[in-house]
Order: sequence, then C-alpha cells, then structure tokens
Amino acid sequence: MKKMLALFLALVMVMSLTAALAEGQQEVTLKVASIWSAETEANRAPFLKTLEEFQAAYPNIKLEVEWYEANQWKDAGETLALSDSLPDVFYWNAGGVLWNLVSTGDILALNDYLTDDIMARIEGGTLTDMTFDGKIYQLPYTKACSCLYCNTELFDKYNVKIPETWDELIDAVKAFKEAGVTPMTVGGGDQWPTNMYADIINLRFAGDAACRACYYKTEGATFKTQDWLDGLKAFQELIDLGAFPEDAASLTRDESEVAYFNGEIPMYVHGQWFAGSLSAEMQQKVKAVKFPSVGKGYDNQWMGGAAEGFCVAAYTEHPDEAFIACEFFAENQSKNGFISGAGLPAWKYDFSAYTDINPVLLQIVAETSSAESFLLWGNTALTGEDATLIGQTVYEVLAGESTPEQWIEDMETIFE
Amino acid sequence: MKRVLSNKWSIAVFVLPTVLFFTYIVIVPIVKTLLYSLLNEIPAKVGDQSHFVGLENYIKMFTVGRRNTFPGAVVNSLLYAALSVFVQLPFSMFIALLLAGGVKGESMYRNTFFVPVVISSVVVSLLWQRIYKGMLPQTFEALNWAIPKNGFLGNKDTKIWFSFLPSLWQYVGYHMLLMYGALKSIPQDVLEAAKVDGAAGAKLAFRIQIPMIKPMLKVCLSFSLIGSFKLFDTPWILLERSNMDLPALSMYVEMFSNHKYSYASAQAMFIVVECLVFTVILNWLFREQREGGKELKRR
Repeated sequence: MKKMLALFLALVMVMSLTAALAEGQQEVTLKVASIWSAETEANRAPFLKTLEEFQAAYPNIKLEVEWYEANQWKDAGETLALSDSLPDVFYWNAGGVLWNLVSTGDILALNDYLTDDIMARIEGGTLTDMTFDGKIYQLPYTKACSCLYCNTELFDKYNVKIPETWDELIDAVKAFKEAGVTPMTVGGGDQWPTNMYADIINLRFAGDAACRACYYKTEGATFKTQDWLDGLKAFQELIDLGAFPEDAASLTRDESEVAYFNGEIPMYVHGQWFAGSLSAEMQQKVKAVKFPSVGKGYDNQWMGGAAEGFCVAAYTEHPDEAFIACEFFAENQSKNGFISGAGLPAWKYDFSAYTDINPVLLQIVAETSSAESFLLWGNTALTGEDATLIGQTVYEVLAGESTPEQWIEDMETIFE
Repeated sequence: MKRVLSNKWSIAVFVLPTVLFFTYIVIVPIVKTLLYSLLNEIPAKVGDQSHFVGLENYIKMFTVGRRNTFPGAVVNSLLYAALSVFVQLPFSMFIALLLAGGVKGESMYRNTFFVPVVISSVVVSLLWQRIYKGMLPQTFEALNWAIPKNGFLGNKDTKIWFSFLPSLWQYVGYHMLLMYGALKSIPQDVLEAAKVDGAAGAKLAFRIQIPMIKPMLKVCLSFSLIGSFKLFDTPWILLERSNMDLPALSMYVEMFSNHKYSYASAQAMFIVVECLVFTVILNWLFREQREGGKELKRR
C-alpha cells in the first residue's frame, strides 16, 4: 500500500512538473507600440532589427507591434490610458510627459525587476527623468541632445565661418541672406521644432540652473529675469533677420527638412536623431557643432538627456514577459540605433568593432563627451497645459503673433 | 397585429431595446460629461479626490483673458456656420436647380460634384495642404501678388478662413445631392402648371421649387449648422497642432494635451447645448412657416 502511495505521489509530482514546464513554454503574446511608422525615421530600421533579435532570443513571446507617428502616438497613448488599455510595452517620452501616465497609475514601476547587473549596464544619469519618488518607470534607449548642423559645402561656397559665438552666428545669417540663401529651417507648424531653437538660446543666456528651476517649477523660480528676456530677444533677432523660411510657421518638420536634405540650407538646430536621417552623401558634408556661445559662461551646457524610452503598462497580464521585452528593446535599440546612426547610446556597449558608424553621430559623441550638463527640452520637462503653453507661445513668437515680453508674461502664468 | 400594436405595454416592449441602447450610448455619456464638467480638475482616473465646483469651469470658459481662446473659437465656429448657411447652401441650391432643370450630361455633373463627399476628410485636407503650400504660393508669385505673412496656413488673420474652405468645398456636393433629389421629386404637373401660368427661371425657383423642398432645406440647414459647431478634422490636419481656434479643437487640446478633463467636459457640454439650441431654433422657424402654409390653404 505504501509503495502504491509513493508511486502515486511520484506520479503527481512528475505531472505537476510537466504541467509547470508546459506552462513555462506557453506562448505569450505582447502588444507593443512604437512611433517609427515612417520609412524615413532613422530609428525604424534599427527597431525592426531589435524586434527580429528579440523573436530569435524569445520565440515563445510573440509580439504584435503597432506603428504610429510620434504626435499621433502621444494622443493615442493618452486616450488608451483613460480606458486602461495601453499596450503591454510601449514607447514614451520621459519627464513631464511620463509623469502624466505615472500619476494616473498606468505605468509599472520596474524596480523589482531591475537587477544590479542590469543597472550596471545603463549609462549613468540617464534614469533621472524616468524616476519618480525613487521608482523607475522607464528604460532609456537613447540619450538625446540638440546641436547645430552646419552644411560645410554651403559654408565653403559662400566663404562663411562656422559660428562659435552669437556675433558670428548673426554674421553668418546676414552673409547667407545676402547671397540669397535661407540660413536656417524650422517646422513651425509642428511647434516643437521651434522649441529646439528657443530652448538652446535660452539655455545659453539663462544657464542650466535657471532654466531647470523654471521647467521643473522649483519654488522661487521665475521667467521674469533679464537673462530670459535676452534669450527671447536673441531668438526674435534671428526671426527679424529672416533666418527662417518665410512660411516657417506653417511648415511641418518633414516639409522644413526637405530643403536641408537637398543641400539648400546651411544651418539647422535639431535633435541628434536628425543625424540618422542624413544620406551617406550628406553625412560627409554636415558638421554637427555645439550651439554658439553668447559669452555668459554656459557654453558647454546642452539641451537633451535621456528623454525617450520604453515602458510597461501597469495592467499588463504578463508583467514578467513585458519587462523582458522592455529591457531587451531598450538595450538593443540603444546598440542598433547607435550603429545605424540614429542616436547616442544610453547603455554601455563596446562599439570598437564597428567602423562604419555615422560620422555626424561620432562628432556629436565627441562634442558631448565633455558636456557639463543636459537639460530636457521645455515641452518635455513641463507637463500638461504648461507643455502646450510653451509650445504655443514659442510658435507665436516665430509667427509674429507675440513678443519676447509677452512670452515672459505668458510663461510666468505656469507658476500661478 | 392591430390589437398588439394598440396595447401600450406591447409598444413599450418593442421600443425598450432601442431606448436602452440609445440611453447607453447617448444619454449616459452626456450625463457623465455634464457631471465631469462640474468637478474640480484632477487626473481622470483618481475619482475619489474629486469634488463639485459648480459652474466654475463654465465661468472660466468665458472669462476674457489673453490666453483664453475659447470665446474666439466659438465666434469662429459661428462664422463658419454663417458661411455654410449663406454661401455653401445657396451655392449647392444653385447647382441643384441647374441640374434638376435638365442640362446635358446631368448625371456626369451630379457625380462629379459628389466626388469630394466620398473622399476621406484626411485626403481632402492633404490635397488642400498641397494647394496652400505649393500651387497657390507659386501662382501668387507668378502673378506678383503678395502672399500672406508666414504663408496661407501660418498667418494668424487668414489661416482660419483658409482652413474653412476645404470643408465648404467638400460638402457642396452633399447638400446639392439632397436638394437635387428633393427637386426631382416635385410632381411634374405642378411645374407644368406653373410654366403654363408664365413662371420660369428665377420666378419658378423662388415661387415654386424652393418652397416645395422646404423640409429638405431644413435637413440641410440642420446638418450644416451642427457640422459647423463640431468641425474638427480638416482644420486639425491643415493647421497642424498650432491652434485651438474652434470649439472642438480647443476641447481636444484641453482633454488630451493639457489633461484638463473637467474643463474639456465643460467645453463638450457647451458644444452639445449649442447644437441642441440651434436645432430647436430651426424647428421653431420651420414650424412657423408650416402654419403659414396651412393658413394659405384655408383661404
């Protein structure tokens, strides 16, 4: 009888183990949202490679990927969050935009999953805008920064010096205008590309500490200082000089960049991802440099930081698998994105074996290697209506609907 | 069957599914939106922190301030409504009268005018974007005419007008077809009698045809007005994200970009009430006309 009982127990054990193993191998399907729907997106090809690598590494986790355009996904994501139906793993911005979803309990805190080994592989300082109250809600795949892209062919052709100071920048703008060349481009219709210009100019005049205090609404922070006003007036000066196309306020980013890709625009302030959109021919002509100094001592401060990453929805049915995917996407997109020239890596990796990396991206890596600080762009650091406000008010200055003084008054209302 | 239909309980049983469905998808959301609009501003999902603030959101909506764009947005939607009623509908009527009068290639013209209606608004918007950003500036340049500052869709004073044009153009065919159908259903003997009495051209149109299709005109007016107040897609695509110049656009930005759910709900309620009020006014206006008609008949 005892033997029979032992045999029965052993059988039950074997069956449970088999069931557990079967459970382990059970296929899980994860919904994923990405923002690289356009073929021209520099991050699209590396992300497709990342997805391929993931499927090879985890054949039992199937992925259903939905592709969006960046602005479209921001709206769609926030709408899905209202009904607790965000996909299991998804792309999202950091800072205030991330806080919008964290505050409503839509995003899973990843601390329990992040082992010391994983943490050691992430570049230092990149989790700052992804952490709230000590909880990490997002993993970065890239470090961002904006810089001045100069088309050296046009600079050589018109014998203009690549600007290092504000005066040289103004001289360059005037020289190109005289030669009948539009000096810079911006997609004002999309609003955020305009913020790239205003943000970096304000940073040069007001410095990281003052800008950070305002963007993160620290107590006592104010826009009503001479430095902010000088920054906006400098931006206004560029507009008044005709630095941008006449219809800049109605151009989308894509439309505004066509002339640059065609080699007709000598200067463009934009994020590092723009380097990945340059053709092989253009990569040889373009030089990425830091934005000119205005003599205030903030020359080595940069706009950017780790502003984009992957998140896991708080209500995912498969949190373990979703974390595996989130971590894999972030780390491998960081690697693949850098190799393909789409962005700067946010994870540590030995790239010495890769010799054909985008030269413009390598210039940005070199330029930022000694960066004093990175500050998120105003429309990313600020949240909700404040983010909308900074986008609209900078647009209004570009379109001639507002003045630097009015901009200061408008922005000061975020402290009310 | 007659006995069943004369029983009120039977009627109630038959009507109940529709009433329940309508209540679930229309009445409940409206009531919920009304409730949200009376709450303080908190993240939508943290319901337990909310409390009633009365009409605060409604007062804020119409408090004049430099950055309060809602009153301007309402004015813009009224302008669009006026354009629809006084330009789009008369133009549609003109085409409908021409076609119904019998012209060579009538069906070809009818189908051609209707083509924009079957095209998606997104396609129409992109098409007009190409016109405003490509063809039109080139034409202006060739003719040495001044292009508005910042382009047709970037100029503060003109962009709203240019964003109206595609929607006005798109739905001309729709109203034309409704009116054309109504005109075609006028009995031939009435038209012939009018012609025998010497009515033709404008006289026939204004004295016989238009009065006889008044019910359809009411339908067109209702569609046109309600469409104006909730206009969203074409201006949203044409003007990119740079504006809150119409009530529906403003509501969308407040809700999804600014996360001000209560304030956006108040704006949504305003749009609902505005549509209802204008529908009631229209009904009242056309009711008067009908009574007038009856009087005429009695005499």
